[in-house]
Order: sequence, then structure tokens, then C-alpha cells
Amino acid sequence: MAFKRVPQKFNASINKVVVGTGDKTITLGGENVLPFYTFDAPIENKPKVGIMISDTGLDKTLPGIAAFYGDAESLVDVAKKAVTAEGADFLAIQLASANPDEQDASPEDCAAACKAVADAVDMPIAVIGCGNRDKDAKVFDKVAEALSGKNVMILSAREENYKNVVASAGLAYGQKIGAESAVDINLAKQLNTVITQMGFSGENVVMNVGTAAAGYGYEYVASTLDRITAAALGQNDTQLQMPIVTPVATETWNVKECIATEEEAPDWGSREQRVIDMEVITATADLAAGSNAVIVKHPASVAVLSKLVNELI
Amino acid sequence: MFTITFKRKGSSDVKVTASPGDNILELAMQAGVAIDAPCSGNGTCGKCFVKVISGAVESEKSVKISEEDYEDGWRLSCQSKVMCDATLFVPASAESFKSDIQTADLSSQEELARYFELVTGIFNTGIQKGDVGVGNGIAVDIGTTTVTAALLRLKSGFIKAKASLGNGQIIYGADVINRIIQQGKPGGVDKLRRAVREETVIPLIETLCKDAGIEPTDVSRMVIAGNTTMEHLFVGANGDSIRLEPYEPEFLELRGKTAADLGLPVAPDAPVVFAPNVGSYVGGDITAGVLTTLMWNNPEMTLFIDLGTNGEMVLGNSDFMLTCACSAGPAFEGGDISCGMRATHGAIESCTIDAETMEPTMGIIGEGAKPIGLCGSGIIDVISELFRCGIINAKGKFVRDGERILRDEYGAAYVLAFAKDSGIGKDVTINEIDIDNFIRAKAAIFSAIRAMLNAVDMTPDDIDYIMIAGGIGSGIDIAKSISIGMLPKLPLDKYIYIGNSSLTGACAMLISNDATEKVHEISANMTYLELSTHPGYMDEFVAACFLPHTDASLFD
Repeated sequence: MAFKRVPQKFNASINKVVVGTGDKTITLGGENVLPFYTFDAPIENKPKVGIMISDTGLDKTLPGIAAFYGDAESLVDVAKKAVTAEGADFLAIQLASANPDEQDASPEDCAAACKAVADAVDMPIAVIGCGNRDKDAKVFDKVAEALSGKNVMILSAREENYKNVVASAGLAYGQKIGAESAVDINLAKQLNTVITQMGFSGENVVMNVGTAAAGYGYEYVASTLDRITAAALGQNDTQLQMPIVTPVATETWNVKECIATEEEAPDWGSREQRVIDMEVITATADLAAGSNAVIVKHPASVAVLSKLVNELI
Repeated sequence: MFTITFKRKGSSDVKVTASPGDNILELAMQAGVAIDAPCSGNGTCGKCFVKVISGAVESEKSVKISEEDYEDGWRLSCQSKVMCDATLFVPASAESFKSDIQTADLSSQEELARYFELVTGIFNTGIQKGDVGVGNGIAVDIGTTTVTAALLRLKSGFIKAKASLGNGQIIYGADVINRIIQQGKPGGVDKLRRAVREETVIPLIETLCKDAGIEPTDVSRMVIAGNTTMEHLFVGANGDSIRLEPYEPEFLELRGKTAADLGLPVAPDAPVVFAPNVGSYVGGDITAGVLTTLMWNNPEMTLFIDLGTNGEMVLGNSDFMLTCACSAGPAFEGGDISCGMRATHGAIESCTIDAETMEPTMGIIGEGAKPIGLCGSGIIDVISELFRCGIINAKGKFVRDGERILRDEYGAAYVLAFAKDSGIGKDVTINEIDIDNFIRAKAAIFSAIRAMLNAVDMTPDDIDYIMIAGGIGSGIDIAKSISIGMLPKLPLDKYIYIGNSSLTGACAMLISNDATEKVHEISANMTYLELSTHPGYMDEFVAACFLPHTDASLFD
């Protein structure tokens, strides 16, 4: 009997979320098939790759980073370089300086820095907090106000601070909200539910369901992403149909493979290559399991991931 | 050496001599001053507070005591040490477990009627009664929190007396795990056995005999039904095997014991029959309870739930029975809840809230009593109402503000009764941590139900009857329990409350050898599902930690 191919196309689809303004917008999501399954139905919006910069500076001990960014020092100059990276679809600004345990930069200063960047580049923007929930809520309030009308992604609202973040950045200033949960399908859905119960449309929400660096319990991430995709498409679960945005760099740069210097781990080879490999491997796995966007830091990682997506779709 | 004086309302002062650094809670326990410490002194439950009237104690500040209360002299006794002479006031709420706990102990007409109906049902199945001779017998249900007992005529099954008492082991912790840990300490076996035997069961026997006008030695048969841990601690068997892998108890059945073997003051040769255990966390109280449900004799699919510190449940019919236990924790009995208390005088047992004004209307136990705290059924009502009125969100977090909502650095709280209206002189509140603890307890129950149904590939719609047992049950509002996702959404007429099924089953075993053998047969036929090693249980649990559930379609 001849093989008969049955396209595995779902009646449900992932929400379409547009980020940015003017000609340079990106659209996340919209597909009704499993990741990269273009043979079942066309995937209109390819997964996107974001390049991340931090307001605490660059790691210029890595030759590739030093060469790419050259003499750029200020956040604005670094941002202008970053957007030229081959394959970058959007710019992610990490406001690490806001961390109250370190520089403790004020929300106003963070907002001014973001505004300066937004005025200097025309690429869609994502803003990543410092990780302190209370501080992030205050910072996002000011940043969302300063970037009003720019239609940026605020990454992210968590269970502890979603009320403030959604009320301010989402409802008051109309930005897109990233809902972040800790690698668990139920927690992801619960957060989306309480966010939409505030009267904020799920159409303006993206999810960061978390990731682990490859080799650090990644199988749980893969299973979670798989199950979210299955629930969103297979069961038409509207509370899980938000596109998934995964900040990869914030995880991978902190593992020992990326921290250890070449003196400390001579057998492991070039540190820069390790950093890139870790980003690319982790982000590839995230994309394969259902991420609609990944965020990495190294320009070389951006180029590889962008090429990968373009070759496959 | 210093002198510590404990003052109580309505009792005489107790003075003890103490050395610097002695723990206040331990001193009180040694001196026989009852202080409720469900967490057995770990500083986590925030129940064992005392007030310094004069002198001082060395005490860490605790999140369990507000700044204001700390200034007023309130301290957690378990976190306080002797540093000089001191006079301490022990408030009523700290010793409330000693007072008349409202429980399913056959004391009301309604309970008695239910009891007779259930017992009649058992003997209508063909089980013979009256095959144990003549005379008097006593059936005892040893609960983790409450012990209830009844004295019956063996021939007729007539109840001559009934009584209940808080389990004396309560000072060693609210749950079975803490009790077992305490048993493992030097002298622990004797201490725990003493607390339940000398301080609880023997006084109950004496009370029953006095009420019935007989001598204890006139009692010629006894039945004891308790969870596996309670039966172990009662006979002095090592409970560690229950707590540790592979979770195999020392014994499942205990046959051939007499009153003399166990040191009970009834006729020395009186047989003492134990209801058999199924596993570490499904014990004799459940096997005796299953006898009462008649599920073993009916083709209808029945789910039997005993709502207590350990939520045990049995699913099945005359063809099969599957059982499991989930650790719901003490929330249903008021533990782990800052304003929680057992269902005694002053407990809020029911509540409705006005959605607009957020003003509560409450039912309180005791004629004219002022509210002191919340008991299990009250907690269900309050959380269900807070959720219905949009005061808390599906995660149990406060999302509205008003006069009754307090906010501080630890989170928000709802004021059930302001200080001027309460029975404790300060606000009675329920906070986000309490709600979180309760949501976990209800999630444990619901996810266990789901896990058990999944194990046999069934859905809630396949269940014909849900039988609810346990002390919390009498006041429980089923509709509200469903609205917060604790019980599956099924027509209310499928729910049947059967009271203290363990005591009822024990009474049937008391008057019938045939019934006793049936309970052994039931026990042998039950399949035990261990949830701690069950794949998918954790997932079910997290999904259920939401009001009413992450999968809202289950409660549409």
C-alpha cells in the first residue's frame, strides 16, 4: 500500500504578537503546526533571534566581542553596533544596573537609558529586568512610560510582580508583556490566567516559560515546551497560545562551561567558542521545542541561529 | 534558678523552677500546662503564643508575631528561653484543644440517627451480629487529633455511653510524621504511648463506664480503629518504618491481644481487636470506615474520602477497591493557618461575604461566642467567598483593597473580625500565607482523587456516590468546596456525609466477629496506590494549586 501523507495541521494556532513600530516590526507566532513542520502547513512568521546587550557593559576579554563592538562604550553606541549584527531581528536591553545588590541604578536612569537607545535605533526592542522582582516592577513602570508608543516587549512579569507590571507597562502604556514562569506547564497557564483576568488581552502577552542551559536539566524544559505546544495546538488551550520568547543568554552565560577561563580549564579550549556553543546549542533546542524567539548575546550566535532558521523555513 | 509562673483564665497558676536557657514550651509541657503546638516546637505554626506579664524571656522575633503584638509582650513559647523570673499568660486559644472539641462523636440526635442507619445497613448485608457473647464493649477511634469512643451492649448493640477527647499526643506535633519523630527520641516510645493511653484512652474508658454505671472490669471486649501510625504508637511499635523507605509498617494486622497485654483497665482477658491496616498511610480507621460505606457490597462506583490531617480515600465497588492517602496537612483542622483553630467554642464555622461591601456574615460555634479563629469548614467558606467576591485571585492573592484588607511587607490579609468584636482582643485575620497553605491542602485532596481516577482510567462522571467522612465533614459546605476545586464538580445529591465512619465501623466490629472478619477481608482486597512514587501526581498537584483549577473546564 502506498504511503499517504496526512498533514498534521491543527485547527488552533499560536497567537500573533507584533512588536515594534513602523516598517521595522516583527511578528511572533501565528503558526498552526509543530515547530519547523512547514511540510504540514506554511509557517508565516519564522522564529526570531534577538541580540542582547547589557547596561553594565561588554565582556571585551572575548576577542570576538571586542572586535565586533570596537570602541563602542556607551549603551547607545553598543546598541547601534548590536543592531547591525547579521541576522538580528530585535534588540534586547538587559537592565542589570538596576540590581539593588549591585549598582542599584534608579528606575528613572534606566528609563532614560532605554529612551536614548530607542531613539537611536529603529529595531524592535525587548527590555529585560535585573531579576529582582520588586525593583523590576518599579523599573518597568518608568521604562514603559519612557518608551510609550514604541510597542516593546517587557521581560518579564512573574507571579510576584505581575499585578504592578501588567497594570503599568501593559494596561497604562500598551506594551507587550512577557509572562515568566519556572519551567512548568501549570504555572505558565496559571500566570497567563491571572494576567488576562486583570483585563489585559492575551493577544498582547508572550510567554517566557524558562529554559536551562543545555545539560543542566534540559530534558524538563524540552518536555514542558512540548506539552505547552501540544496543549495550545492540540487542545486549543487559549491560555497557552501565547508565543514563547526564551532569553537564552541569561542562563547560559552563568554556567561553568562559560565562566571558566582558559587558564582554569585548559582542556576545554577557547572560552569564546564555549560561550557561543552553549548559546547556539541551547537556543536550537528551544526553537526545536517551540520557542518563537530566542535571545542570545554573542553576534556569532545570532548569525548561526538566524542561518539555521532561514535554512529550515 | 528562676521561677516561671503560668497564668491561665479559669485555672490556678502553675509555678515551675527553671534554669537559664530552658525552653518555655517544654517547661509548660512538663508542668502539665497545655499549649497547643501543632508543629511541635519548630516555630513554624505560630500557635503556641504566650504573653509576658512580668519579667522577661529571651525570644527571637518571628514573622508569626506582628510588631505590635511583640511590643504587647506576645511571644512564641517554643522560641522563648528562660532568662529571669517571669509570669506568662497562656491564652485560651493556645489551650483550646483541651476544651470540648466539636467532633463527630455521636453526641447529636442527627449523628445517632445516621449511625443507626449505617449500622443497620451493615447487618442487612447478611453479616451476623450478636456472635460475641453478652456484656459490654468499648469501641475507640484513635484519630491523630481527636479520640472518640462508645460503650455498647454486645448482644443488642445498644449505645450506653459515648465520649471524645483531644488526642494527648497533640503536644508532640499535629501530624503523624512529627509524632513518629518524637517517638524516636530517647524515652519517646513510652511518652507517646502514655499520652494516648494513660492521658486519653483510659480516661475515656473511665468516663464511659461512669456514664453507663458499670465498672471498667465489666467491659469484656474492645475494638480499636486508628490510622497505621496511631495503632503503632498505641502499642509501642516502632513507627520509623512508616516514615522511611520502603514505607512498610511493623504490622498490618494485630491479632490475639488482650486488655492485660496492652495495660488497659478493663477485664484483663477481654480481647482487644484492632482494625487492620492496608499500608503505611491507609490504616484501620479506613478499613473500618469502608465497612460502613457498604461500597464492598454495591455495584455502584463509590469514592470514599476521609477528610483529616491525612486525606485518605478509597475508590471502588463490589469488584475492586483502590486506596491512597495524601498529606493534606493539618489545615482542615485549623493547623498551618495563622487564625486557624479546631472546631471549638469561638470558631468561625461558616461565612458569607457581601461582594460589594466585603463585609462578612459569620456563624460561630457556641451560644453568643465572639470569634476567635477559623476552623476547617470556616476556612473553606471564607476562601470560597473571598474568591467569589473577587477579593482574592485564582492564585489566592489579594487583588482588592478596602477597610478589611490589611497590607504589610509580608503580604495582605483580610480582617474577619476587628479587635473590638473578637474574642481574643486583636484582629482575627486570614492572610495570603494561610490561603496558600489551604490551597495546597485542597490541591492534595483533589489531585489524589484525579490520580486515583486516572489509575483506573475513569473520570469523575463515572462516580455514583462520594461519601465524605471525618470531623470536618459535618459543617462542610459541599457547593463551596466544589467552587474552590477541592471536590469534583458533580451533582450535590451524589455527595453523602457519613460522619465518623471509623467509629461506626469499630462499633459494628465490636458487636460482631463476622463484621471483624469482613473488615479483614476488605483490607486484604484493597489495592494501595503510593502517591509519593506515582508519576504524574506532582503535575496534578501543581495544576490543582489554583482556584478552582488550572484546567478550568473541570469546574465549568
